[in-house]
Amino acid sequence: MPANFWSRTLGLSWEFGTMRPRERDTLSVWQVVELARHPDRPYSLDYIKRMAPDFVELHGDRISHDDPALVAGLGTWHGRTTVFFGHQKGRTLAERVRRNWGMMHPEGYRKALRIARQAVKFGFPIVSLVDTPGAFPGAAAEERGIAAAIAGAIMEWFETPVPIVAAVIGEGGSGGALGMAVADRVLMLENSTYSVASPEAAASIVWRDNARKVEAADQLQLTSRDLLAMGVVEEVVPEPEGGAHVDYEGTAVALENALWRHLQPLLTMPVDELLQHRYERFRYIDSLIAAHPDFGPKVEPKV
Amino acid sequence: MSLPFRGRVREGVLLVSMVHVPVTGTKLPPIALSTNCPSCGVGLVPEELREQAYVCDCGHHFRMHGDAWIALLADEGSWRERWADVRPHDLLDWKVPKPYQQTIDQARQEGLNEAVRTGTATLAGRPVWLGVFDFRFVGGTLSIVAGERLARGFEQAAASHTPYVLVTASGGARMQEGVLALMQLAKVNAALGRLHAARVPYFSVLTDPTFGGVSASLALLGDVNLAEPGAAIGFTGARVIKQATYADLPPGFQSAEFQLECGQVDLVVPRVELRERLARLLDLYTG
Repeated sequence: MPANFWSRTLGLSWEFGTMRPRERDTLSVWQVVELARHPDRPYSLDYIKRMAPDFVELHGDRISHDDPALVAGLGTWHGRTTVFFGHQKGRTLAERVRRNWGMMHPEGYRKALRIARQAVKFGFPIVSLVDTPGAFPGAAAEERGIAAAIAGAIMEWFETPVPIVAAVIGEGGSGGALGMAVADRVLMLENSTYSVASPEAAASIVWRDNARKVEAADQLQLTSRDLLAMGVVEEVVPEPEGGAHVDYEGTAVALENALWRHLQPLLTMPVDELLQHRYERFRYIDSLIAAHPDFGPKVEPKV
Repeated sequence: MSLPFRGRVREGVLLVSMVHVPVTGTKLPPIALSTNCPSCGVGLVPEELREQAYVCDCGHHFRMHGDAWIALLADEGSWRERWADVRPHDLLDWKVPKPYQQTIDQARQEGLNEAVRTGTATLAGRPVWLGVFDFRFVGGTLSIVAGERLARGFEQAAASHTPYVLVTASGGARMQEGVLALMQLAKVNAALGRLHAARVPYFSVLTDPTFGGVSASLALLGDVNLAEPGAAIGFTGARVIKQATYADLPPGFQSAEFQLECGQVDLVVPRVELRERLARLLDLYTG
């Protein structure tokens, strides 16, 4: 498929975000996937500690467990207390095991919702950083109701009356990522991915063979430029030459500036309007596609 | 693995029932069956099985497709399908292993209309919105069109205060529509949240199989979650769990009865009791 398929189809200019057509055009989709998974890539805490040096991490879902795959807490950001969420993968093998490679259990979503309710109570805005291969595909997660935890989280974010901005900073895999990415604005770092399933999972579903991951990745349209063109994310934050792991400082500053730029207008928005915008953002997220003549009227007349 | 029957079917009426509600709304359409029951091995007589709502004497519930579910739940002549003209398209230019456009065209030639069909009906005389998944259409996967039909249905049910009954049978989100299929989880849940906020009852009937993006969005958020005996319900399929964690899974893992134990479903209801049970719930929640 031609690289500029979406731009051509939808008549969008490739540069309409902040992306620049640079060496990205020479990277294959699989190379982007590998950059998004780079072991040296900055993780959520690398950004959060730079954005809010006084960050205090909170733990536990107040029901049964704490989920180390999700970091949650408060910090001062631009002079205002802000709630931060972020998937954390872990640097060393021991830490990776402890944090379960950033794959959340049901407790993680329950912890996030508990702290989100606190944010509502005190009127703190929410920043969510997404970097997960997906929710944990294990028997324990199933027994404790991972599906219902994600479903409940997705529904509750729509009823959380404080501004939420999210950014995909590495891997955005499947429902596990979406459970933490229902927000008023969703941004993406340049070399991150966001898809319906990881390339491996998609290959094992479509081919029944997860070795076909490269072909699957090519078809899934999971790079930041694809998602920007589809209208699924608002902005792509450029990374330094070579990728985010080359310059933690520079990437963090770029991400912070973009997040703040998007959060600022939300802070003064009336709550009803904020929730209505969030609803419409996802309700008509495929509106570019819905413009197809066979698709029928976008909005039904009121009954 | 399945619960034994608690009632017996005579001339299409469940005898144990408190309220006399016919087992099916109309005569069920024929469905393709194997020659023997996969559970007890008995030779099947299709016409006989059709009379007992495609449930074997041993309690095995055969998978039913969308048409059959509509015939089972909707009263005769009451089904009004909506948005059947909203059609799927190959958006990502999906080529291998099989072009998505070809998949769509083939399904259409076989008379299938997307993985979700929705409309209004009456269930034993009670007006409802009905949404049914059809596993034959790309594994009943949640797609843009499916999500659109569900979201519109939820919005209209909320506006008209009509209870919503959903029947799920799905492998999850549709890979061939990429991240836009994933966004349908948020889209339908947003609309579902408004249905709940409007205080409209929502009943989710989970049938075999219900997995992935569907169970992680609308399927498990019912005011009452009902499951069919023996239905496989979960987030990640057992095959993938084994591949990812090398774990031995206990027998009956992710069955409806397992999910009942884990607190994810309220009721495991045999198919012949389903209509009567839904009618009773509709009365309780709207009474």
